Amino acid sequence: MAGGGSDDGLKPHGRRPQVFVCAGGGGVGKTTTSAALALALAWQGKNTLVVTVDPARRLADAMDTPIGSSPKRVPLPPEVKGELYALMPDPREAMRTFVEHLFKDEPAAMQRLFENRIYAAMADAAAGVHELVSVMLVVQAVEELNLDCVVVDTAPSRYALDLVLYPGRLAALLEGRAIAWFGNLAQRTTEEDDEPGIMQGSAGGVLNWGRRRVENAMGRVLSARAITDVANLFIELARVRERFALLARQAEELLLGETTKFVLVAAPTGAADADLKYLARKLRKLQRGATAVIFNRADVAAPSWVAEVGTHADVTPALLAAIRQLEEERTARTHAADAMAKEIRRKLPLVRQLRLPTIAAEHPAAIVSALAEHLTELGN
Amino acid sequence: MTDFGESHARDAAYAENPRTATVLAGEDVGVRIRSMNAGHPPLAQVVLVTGKGGVGKTTVAVGLAAAAAESDAGAVVVEFGDGEAGRRLLRRHRRAAINHVVIAPQDAVARCAVPLFGSALLAKAVLGNFAFKRFLRATPAIRELAMLECVRIVAAENPGVRVVVDMPATGHGIAWLRVAEQLRTFASSGPLHDLADRVCKDLLAPERSSIVVVTLPERLVLQETLELCDAMDKQVGLFPSRLVVNRFPAALPAQALDDARALAASGAVPAVMALLAALEARHASLTEADASLRDVLHGAHIPPVVLPAAPSDPTPADIAGWLKAEGAA
Repeated sequence: MAGGGSDDGLKPHGRRPQVFVCAGGGGVGKTTTSAALALALAWQGKNTLVVTVDPARRLADAMDTPIGSSPKRVPLPPEVKGELYALMPDPREAMRTFVEHLFKDEPAAMQRLFENRIYAAMADAAAGVHELVSVMLVVQAVEELNLDCVVVDTAPSRYALDLVLYPGRLAALLEGRAIAWFGNLAQRTTEEDDEPGIMQGSAGGVLNWGRRRVENAMGRVLSARAITDVANLFIELARVRERFALLARQAEELLLGETTKFVLVAAPTGAADADLKYLARKLRKLQRGATAVIFNRADVAAPSWVAEVGTHADVTPALLAAIRQLEEERTARTHAADAMAKEIRRKLPLVRQLRLPTIAAEHPAAIVSALAEHLTELGN
Repeated sequence: MTDFGESHARDAAYAENPRTATVLAGEDVGVRIRSMNAGHPPLAQVVLVTGKGGVGKTTVAVGLAAAAAESDAGAVVVEFGDGEAGRRLLRRHRRAAINHVVIAPQDAVARCAVPLFGSALLAKAVLGNFAFKRFLRATPAIRELAMLECVRIVAAENPGVRVVVDMPATGHGIAWLRVAEQLRTFASSGPLHDLADRVCKDLLAPERSSIVVVTLPERLVLQETLELCDAMDKQVGLFPSRLVVNRFPAALPAQALDDARALAASGAVPAVMALLAALEARHASLTEADASLRDVLHGAHIPPVVLPAAPSDPTPADIAGWLKAEGAA
């Protein structure tokens, strides 16, 4: 199990897997693209894990295999050399999985935590717990499976890249000084309730005075009981600080390591365009660059069959009308994709662009295979 | 060609295609047909538009505002974040004045903190405190409460004006709706309790706010959406007023699929097979969209509002027109 010992390397006994983080706004086909990329990597003989933090079950559909909280082997034809695994943790289980992992050696503290009022009320609202748990499960999978590549399919939102920041944020919260502050605050507030005089006449000058004012203000805004609950929560979490810090460090190494490749996924819609630009800015802030921008449903030109069928001797008026309608839709997408690609080329001149065609297939797995053929070059 | 004529063309297509028509003919069917006839309840002053990422929340929100701006005293669109998505759509709508209020999440907290702490200076000191800053960054619940409080303020400052809120994509389900209630209980007294209480009573009450959930005509997405609606009802006591099913695929000429099959049967030319595959795929997505609406929404207490898929991004006026045609604006 990850984080069991004192080793802080992601994979002490072997090489580190190549990580691909796929990000994009919602509805751009990110999950399908991630699955296709993972499949392309497996075709190249690489043992690959694809993980989605998107609670939708689309990956399960796309991979044509049931998905759960541990990596499942995706059946592939025997000629494929690489192994393919898929992982889709259940968000509803996230907090419990997380706490059970952290408090493995502290059952009594875990019980107190589950009984804490704030924990009970806010457990599902803590920042990125599901994302963090997903990353934690990936870290475990990396230790257990012999993986060459990991493809991370982020949440369908422009804030998806925050995923890489959550571990650090939560770890910073548990850093000693913050815990001590909340602990003190709780103590003072309770004391204040009993003995109003204790807050006065302290030494320490302006700095202390300022801090006291903040503490007093917090005490007024929250009730004494609420502050005690917050503080107790922190005290319990402090017990597992080491384990937490290790997890955060591993997660950060995995997601923000120097070799990690960021793939931005877009589709020819205005919303996807705005999300793409936002994500590109966000990457720059993280001092990372995108490896590639993938445009889905972005056919460059009419497929060759259009002209051929159009001149077919037995073509009917209904067929011609259908082709015309399909072509109208395709042209609108192509124009939008052209404009987007041009602008992104201007903004990110060094980033490789991949334009993928619309795949006409009924089954998600067929779409994944068709797209994978276009993505093999990303694995090199 | 983006008026609601498309929908009627679709109805005609169903009538011509017996396979789809049977699907729609049973008595429990007609979710879509019922949606045309069943009256939708009137919307409250505040409309909270929610749904997962990429379903077209912003488009629907701006469309609802555009519809309200034409008839009512005016409309405000509230957007969180950088406001880029709403701005992009509003640039394409010059007909009626829609006010665009953009609230950055951190500004929302700052705005609420001043009355909470009684002084701007003190609020600044608390928000600048290192421990509190970290606490805030790790618990988005506080920020979400502040965002809701800002919406409450906008609504109070604009009586009689429709306030449409483009809610952030909900990764964590209905947590943002529960947060006010949770914090009200958690801070059993004092200013934070009062603030949460105000949000509960003056915003998150059926007579104050309507919830519009946007979703897509895909089985799994619909299923999740319906679970969300149910959870809202049971856990928060707010049942969505509208279930907007966005981007219903456009039908192709009814005869085309049969013609393509006949053509393919007469000789398997690759080009013909490719055309057939394209038509089969569209037919499958239409059938699936219909079936999933019927199966998933069967027995649900909410008639869907179905909006068509358009080849290029629809304008706010398009959306407003579609919503009005469905009696849902």
